[in-house]
Amino acid sequence: MAKNKNKTAYVEKKLPLKKLIYRDRYLLYMMIPVVIFFAVFCYFPMTGLVMAFNRYRIGSGLAGVYNSPFVGLQWFRQFFQSVYFYRLVRNTFLLQFWSLIVGFPIPILFAVAVTQIRRKPVQKTVQVATYLPYFISTVVVCGMINNFLSPSGGIINQLLNRLGVQSINFMNLPEWFRRIYVISGSWQSFGFNSIIFVAAIMGISPDLYEAMRVDGANRRQIIWHLVLPSIKPTIILLLIMTLGSMMSVGFEKVYLLYNTAVYETADVIQTYVYRQGIGTSPPNYSFATAVGLFNSVINFAIVFVANRISRHVSDTAIW
Amino acid sequence: MKKRVLSMLLASAMVVSMLAGCGGAAGGGGKHLKILAETSNYANVDIKEAEIVKKVIADFGADVEWQLVDYNNYQDTVTPMLSAGQVDADIVLLPDQDANQTYIKSGLFTPLNKYFDSMPNFTKWLDANPVIKAEITAEDGNIYYVPGTNVGKDYQPCLMYNQVWLDKAGKTAPKTLDELVDLLKYYKDNDMNGNGDANDEIPMSIMADFLPYMFGPAFGLDLVSGFQADASGNVTYAYADSANYKKYLEFLNGLYKDGLLEQEYTSIDRDKVIERISNDLTGVAYDFSWAMSMMYSNVLPYYDGTAATAFVGAAPLSGDKEGFYVGRVELGNMFAISANSKNAEYAAKFLDYAMSDACQELYQWGIEGESYVVNADGTRSFTEKGQDNDWLQQFGINPSFVFPAQQSVASTDVLVADWHAKSNAELRQYVVDPWPFIYATSDETDTINTYMTDIETKVNESATAFITGTRPMTEFDAYIGELDSLHLPDVTAIRKQQYDRYLKALNG
Repeated sequence: MAKNKNKTAYVEKKLPLKKLIYRDRYLLYMMIPVVIFFAVFCYFPMTGLVMAFNRYRIGSGLAGVYNSPFVGLQWFRQFFQSVYFYRLVRNTFLLQFWSLIVGFPIPILFAVAVTQIRRKPVQKTVQVATYLPYFISTVVVCGMINNFLSPSGGIINQLLNRLGVQSINFMNLPEWFRRIYVISGSWQSFGFNSIIFVAAIMGISPDLYEAMRVDGANRRQIIWHLVLPSIKPTIILLLIMTLGSMMSVGFEKVYLLYNTAVYETADVIQTYVYRQGIGTSPPNYSFATAVGLFNSVINFAIVFVANRISRHVSDTAIW
Repeated sequence: MKKRVLSMLLASAMVVSMLAGCGGAAGGGGKHLKILAETSNYANVDIKEAEIVKKVIADFGADVEWQLVDYNNYQDTVTPMLSAGQVDADIVLLPDQDANQTYIKSGLFTPLNKYFDSMPNFTKWLDANPVIKAEITAEDGNIYYVPGTNVGKDYQPCLMYNQVWLDKAGKTAPKTLDELVDLLKYYKDNDMNGNGDANDEIPMSIMADFLPYMFGPAFGLDLVSGFQADASGNVTYAYADSANYKKYLEFLNGLYKDGLLEQEYTSIDRDKVIERISNDLTGVAYDFSWAMSMMYSNVLPYYDGTAATAFVGAAPLSGDKEGFYVGRVELGNMFAISANSKNAEYAAKFLDYAMSDACQELYQWGIEGESYVVNADGTRSFTEKGQDNDWLQQFGINPSFVFPAQQSVASTDVLVADWHAKSNAELRQYVVDPWPFIYATSDETDTINTYMTDIETKVNESATAFITGTRPMTEFDAYIGELDSLHLPDVTAIRKQQYDRYLKALNG
């Protein structure tokens, strides 16, 4: 069989390109929409990064993206020289870092736990109940957070009062912002994020479970020696993908939750760019593009390093 | 035969429609005009179908194609359109006032001066309003925009007190900061709403954005405008006034510590204030004047249409300095003619017609017999229908979303409760001019945009920190130093240049 495979591969190499194209034409037709999608929505817009190095002239349309006056690294300098640069990078990184530390393992643990439930109706109900928060819009979630944590009448403070603890003005204290952001984010997404792990666990061959049980393994041993190693590639893949957005905090949630009292821990690159680049009149699209490019470069670097480390440590890598 | 009859019918229909298109054009021509503007802020009003709007168009005789963008998203939608140069309209309502002359310099709009011969109403109005003329004359000496106007000194944000609570406490509206503190303490300690619970009263419900309006003047600060000029033309940044701004923060910090300024004051919004007022939980508010009778008093459980049971406006508070209210820049929505318009002169005539006295009367009062009547003594009053705000909005009153409408005090006086109009007349004396609208040059815009966001970030977070006590007042001098290091002196110098230019333009 292996021999035949090699033979086929050998024959493919010998086929002229035209014939290869003709032979795989249907596959290539299927590729066309994907190529168009990436070309139009990913690669062509990428050429707009040139805006980060020019001063986009308002009213100059698409042509202005490319032929506005060149200003070199002015917008990068402006961003790096901002007195808030360090704080913005720190806040952006820490919000994502803690979201990763807290939010990443929970879906895995949940997926492992939920697949251990033997009664299917119970399993499905638990899964659906945990997916639901993911579909609540960010605005509503932020409204709920504000209401629950209000020092006058919020349910959390009412509970604290009953326990004899004084009300805490959660939303106005910088030290609480990250915790609120991270915990609420994990609550909202852990159910949905567990889907992919549940699918990976479901994909493990029942024969392997059977074999372990025959060998006398208990449930803990099955999880530790079969389930987790089986989904390790999925975990690593998703971890690397998540690391790719380490500097990309969801703008809306921070914007809806923060106020001047908590800028110290809550003001992130995206909210600053909104105030500096989009919120000004006229909007400074070039500045916003420069900061976006800076963010993307950092994200790419993190993914690149994480991928390398992963390849060395676990033999699993995206590329 | 059938075919012939059909083609005859079609031909006659075409001739009739062509004739109809030619007729009744006061402005001449009945040409096609595309207007990019915003919808009404009332969700149930279709502004293009409003009688007043239709009458203006019909009287002029234009064939208007509306491009209406949702009022709530107008700036977010139209700014990128203008930035990308993708506006296909003859007349455009600007998403902002173009204070940096960005749209002007980008050549998006045509200068109106070349059409001034066709714009008698507009030029007459400009001559009668030299301040506005000075404000909207661009750096190149041209005028590009036809503005609507706001009332600058009437119906401005002001303090409002629950009159029933004041009477119950046996007090009058405070005139000084000390009197206000006494009143708030009294409200805090007593069962003002008479529900048997003396702890549910929230003495004062103020949105954080209004604190500078309310307390700044008592310390001689116009924190609303930020920059302020004294009589000799010196320009300063009120948030960096080392003596008075410090006292302002100390005062608010005192209110916060005493529980008179609530813990969550940064997250109070108008809905919350209305909810509290409707539950009779609060005694002092500060908001735009219109909220007084239209939003606050009318939700009070015992409001009977008189001042005695309402939230009533009062004089500003005085402290070290005599109190005042900060007025509003009169410039409102700005309309421009697209440089690509093939009907630019016709569009200029249309805007000029929309500025005419006849149209302004329509905007302010509507149509005689429908929305208002002229009384025997020559005064006007709204009809019974006209006193129904929903109906009046649907009729198209004050259509500043689509036309350069000028707000009128007289028509507003008639629209609000009598006591409210009286209160406004009394408060007018306290209103001072705000920092004027001044065009910025490109260099000025660059500098201001580079530094101002950081300065405002510092100011806003420091104000909250000083008021709530998370940053001690002993660090106030350090705060002033931080503002200097954020290039505040550079920005102040630019504001000074701009103010000098404004004075020069104003004084000819």
